[in-house]
Amino acid sequence: MSAIFRLMRNKRLFILMIGLILFIALMGFTFGRNRLTWPEKFVNDAFGTVQGVFYRPVGAVADFFRDLGRLSDVYKENEQLRQTVAQYTQDQIRFNLLEAENKRLQEELNFTERQKNMDNYRYLIAQVVGSTSNPYERTITINLGSKDGIKPEMAVRTVDGLVGLVSKVKNFTSTVTLISNLDPSSSKGSPVSATFLSKPDSFGIIEYDEETKTLLMSKIEEKDKPVDGDTVITSGLGSLFPKGIIIGTVKSSQVGDFGLTYTATIEPAAKFDHLREVFVIVVPEVDEP
Amino acid sequence: MSMRINWAILLGLVLVIAENAIVPWLIPPGWSDRLLPHLTFILTIFVAGYAGRHPAFLFGLGFGLLQDMLAYGHLIGPYGFGMGLIGYLAGLLSEYKSYTISLFSWAVLVFGLLLDSIVYSIYNLFRLTDLQFAHVFYWQVAPTALLQLLIALLLYVPVRRYLVKASLSPGEDNPE
Repeated sequence: MSAIFRLMRNKRLFILMIGLILFIALMGFTFGRNRLTWPEKFVNDAFGTVQGVFYRPVGAVADFFRDLGRLSDVYKENEQLRQTVAQYTQDQIRFNLLEAENKRLQEELNFTERQKNMDNYRYLIAQVVGSTSNPYERTITINLGSKDGIKPEMAVRTVDGLVGLVSKVKNFTSTVTLISNLDPSSSKGSPVSATFLSKPDSFGIIEYDEETKTLLMSKIEEKDKPVDGDTVITSGLGSLFPKGIIIGTVKSSQVGDFGLTYTATIEPAAKFDHLREVFVIVVPEVDEP
Repeated sequence: MSMRINWAILLGLVLVIAENAIVPWLIPPGWSDRLLPHLTFILTIFVAGYAGRHPAFLFGLGFGLLQDMLAYGHLIGPYGFGMGLIGYLAGLLSEYKSYTISLFSWAVLVFGLLLDSIVYSIYNLFRLTDLQFAHVFYWQVAPTALLQLLIALLLYVPVRRYLVKASLSPGEDNPE
């Protein structure tokens, strides 16, 4: 007991204890909170705006030098792109026919206006204005906020594929949590459900393996054995999350926990660093009566 | 020796912006989750050396919380706590021993390791990361601390020339 009193007499240690308690309280209070107070919004908007002034020009210069280094690959890339475009033109014809037929069938089955528009996503283009140096909060800041209609939990993609979810929305900027920070096991945010492109009925949940720095798709049913090289897209189950966004390709697969499900290792399609432009996907509003 | 605190705060704000907007572009693509230098932390060590422990404590606390707020995804506070504590500790150290460049380098290195370890333990405490400490140390903490040391040495001469007021007594060493 006297030892504790002697500790109390040490002013520095006492203040350190108080500080520790205050900070644990602050962290606990801010943990898993979704609403922001106005000072936070103001500070974030102010810094976000100023960062944007620097982030974009610096990014342009950095990309220019990186492109100079890749100049020799351009020829090969061009060849590849030409082949892809030829294939796309073929697919376009098929797609138009299918879409027309789909519309006709929807008409015949008396789909409501809302059901018809369910898959008409709006894409808002956003400039990235900064990323953070905190290793456990892999976030980027984009220059769209609640004034532009951004809401939490919206999906964010690049041209290549899914990169993350909007986590905190300010007035003019928002924070996007990268997909590499999603971890359904520790209850931070909603899980992303995924499916294989070749098996549209398959189901799995995307999580990130911090140890190996790859994405994992877990809880795949036994009948949908993952095939290496297959493309993984979001399934949009639950309808809050848009469907059909590319996540990545299957790199390998193994039998998951308890031997009843499969777990696939996924090579992400999008890069998570050096981002300049992203698209925020706005799912049409579901107006509840 | 004392410090032009107003200018140091201004430099701190510039460094916050540089840390979020410019540094990510300078890190090579494969290293973006390994090299995450905290520029305001380096400035906090400078303040601790030339202005004493109380300004350094407030400096670290303020800029740490600012950085936390800008990165806010899960928690606010880990860097605020870590940098406040380290500002104070570095200030205490500078009162026992005068700041030479070698002591300064050691301070940046050791306190850099300490800061990221504190932040790791806080995130681990809240179950936001389940990585092993050894892995984190090898993967991110050690490379970051070494890069911070390099940046600190680059900043050393400009900071001493423009931010540190030469002491009034002629016996002290006068920079440049």
